[in-house]
Amino acid sequence: MSPRTEGSPETSAPDLRDRLATVKRLAAEGDSAAARAMLRSLASPDDDFVTQARLARVLSSLPSAGLGAKPLRIAILAASTVDHFADVLRFWLALEGFAADLWIAPFDTIIPSALDVAGPLYAFAPDLIWLFTSNRDVRIEVTDDRSAVDAVAAAVQRTQSLWEALRSRRECTILQNNADIPAIDGLGNFATQTGSSRRNLLRRYNLELAAAAPHGVMLFDLEHLSALHGKARWNDGRYWYHSKHAFAPDSYGRVAFQAARLISALAGKARKCLIVDLDNTLWGGTIGDDGLAGLQLGSGADGEAFVDFQRWLVGLKERGVILAVCSKNEEDAAKEPFLAHPDCVLRLEDFAMFRANWNSKANNICDIANALNIGLDSLVFVDDSPLERDAVRSHLPEVAVPELPADPAQYIEAIDRHGYFETVGLSAEDRERTRFYRENAARAELQGRLSDIGEYLGALGMVAEVADLDAFHLPRMAQLINKSNQFHLTGTRYTEAELARLASQPGHVVRYVKLRDRIGDNGLIAVIVLVKSPRRELLVETWVMSCRVLGRTLEEFICNDIVETARRMSCRTVVGRYVPGPRNRLVAGLYERLGFRGIGELNGGTGWSLAVDRETPALKTHIESARPSMEGAA
Amino acid sequence: MIDPGIVRGRLNQVFREVFDEDDLQIFDAMSAADLEEWDSLSHITLVLAVEKEFRVRLNAAEVGKLDNVGQMIDLLARRATA
Repeated sequence: MSPRTEGSPETSAPDLRDRLATVKRLAAEGDSAAARAMLRSLASPDDDFVTQARLARVLSSLPSAGLGAKPLRIAILAASTVDHFADVLRFWLALEGFAADLWIAPFDTIIPSALDVAGPLYAFAPDLIWLFTSNRDVRIEVTDDRSAVDAVAAAVQRTQSLWEALRSRRECTILQNNADIPAIDGLGNFATQTGSSRRNLLRRYNLELAAAAPHGVMLFDLEHLSALHGKARWNDGRYWYHSKHAFAPDSYGRVAFQAARLISALAGKARKCLIVDLDNTLWGGTIGDDGLAGLQLGSGADGEAFVDFQRWLVGLKERGVILAVCSKNEEDAAKEPFLAHPDCVLRLEDFAMFRANWNSKANNICDIANALNIGLDSLVFVDDSPLERDAVRSHLPEVAVPELPADPAQYIEAIDRHGYFETVGLSAEDRERTRFYRENAARAELQGRLSDIGEYLGALGMVAEVADLDAFHLPRMAQLINKSNQFHLTGTRYTEAELARLASQPGHVVRYVKLRDRIGDNGLIAVIVLVKSPRRELLVETWVMSCRVLGRTLEEFICNDIVETARRMSCRTVVGRYVPGPRNRLVAGLYERLGFRGIGELNGGTGWSLAVDRETPALKTHIESARPSMEGAA
Repeated sequence: MIDPGIVRGRLNQVFREVFDEDDLQIFDAMSAADLEEWDSLSHITLVLAVEKEFRVRLNAAEVGKLDNVGQMIDLLARRATA
């Protein structure tokens, strides 16, 4: 999805009218996919409420059958009017591929709704509970500067109690607004150095709230959104006093867009990889024509802007976004700035793939996706050339291709505003991600040199470390389960707390696998959750693997580990389950390939069974075990 | 003062867009009772759309009174700035 704003100018009212008429005509002719695509191209988070509401109405009238939208149940608790916002939210969620069912608690019933275990909130069975509060809901009673710290702590404690009340009654993610700090404070500028001013109390509250939020509670940065929208127009007293809207309806598009992106990231749908062009994208000029010394990079207005853009890309890489290059160039010339230009910030090793040749960019992008083993819908492509952008858009509609302005000073903003890479947590793996993928490209090269796959796998010298959940690995384990879509047999999602609790229960095994080889360390790349049933079956409740280690006989290795675990736990059978999801066709035939026998329908999926006895043969794998410990499996 | 006839045409367009009904026809005595979808929530959307179309900011007292189309046209003819 690409919001319109940074590229084309605002659509005028009559223009929008015509285009919406076209959308409706397309829908009436039965081409609802085209109608949706057009509506999507018209949508911008910056548009005012009236436009948002119109687009939302039109979208809600289009048939949604057959689109494979993901159902999502969101309960919104608020002490303000949220109905109009809900329409806009539903719209932006639909553009992210969700069929959202929203339940709005009766006005100003946040606490009673949370406490009533038999009430409508829990009957609704939400996937997400959104505590849609504003600064008006944050009570901080303070008499002087000295009591400010305690007063804020008490307010944070009240919010925490509410989270605990919700989480003890329903296991689901909580989205919590922080406080939007009002533009007006009675103390004027002096509010900023007065500990007990409302402005500073709320600033302190927001920081303390962030520190207090446990895993499973996501903060929604309403304060930041209010600044982004413009604080002077964020609060409109007319709508508060007349209809109890907590902030100006014209900000709803922006707020809903940000929320939809965050919710999408929670569902593991954020983009993973940024592919950049080189000439006039990472530096000014063309390396082939202008030579190293002729590039605009480092000095001059454009040169400084390109350096900052490169720094920004390095920052993305360090938080886990994979970088790759796709450029029409001679490879040697294309690499020269990274090796020899004194002001080039990016290094060759910052890129997981480097494709500089004269093939079409769409082909190169497909190659990059294949080599990195990620979906096209995980990619963002950045190129200064409108022709290349259009070509990629038309050939590969799944790839996000943001409009780029002519001025490099605006590149960062033009990409950042889309929120492609929203994340809901960071793990140690994130910083290393580009290295993992770069090493994979090196493995692919090794494979190309060796004709026989067995020879290649042997030459890799793979060693796996298998161990049960511990506090150190817990964040990465939860992240892997929640971000995996393709190699995920049952589609389960767990918070860290749920995973840790499962591991502590008798008859449960929650285990990770790390893999290293001659070329590098792949890190923690697989998690299994096994549950022993009363009938002495070992159920494979969850099995996820990073797609960057496919085709290395790791599936066989893990299967052997499961069988061995079953033996140790005195189970007679291993029972696996495949639950079809939108993106896990990859593993539909996994259990059959591993020698399991189909046992028909099982809990919303297909069941597969493998008898375990002394004779159950170990499957052939090229991976050796470096098992650090065997405890905790019983 | 804008010609009430012009106001009427523009207001009719606003109604069609807010209620997403391409052939909706407004009339002076028309009120929320005449349009199933005209409830307190869509009334707010309607007022916001009117404010945008006529580039006015209406205060709470004025908005409270806007419950039939004739009153709206009168008010907008007096208050509209463009």
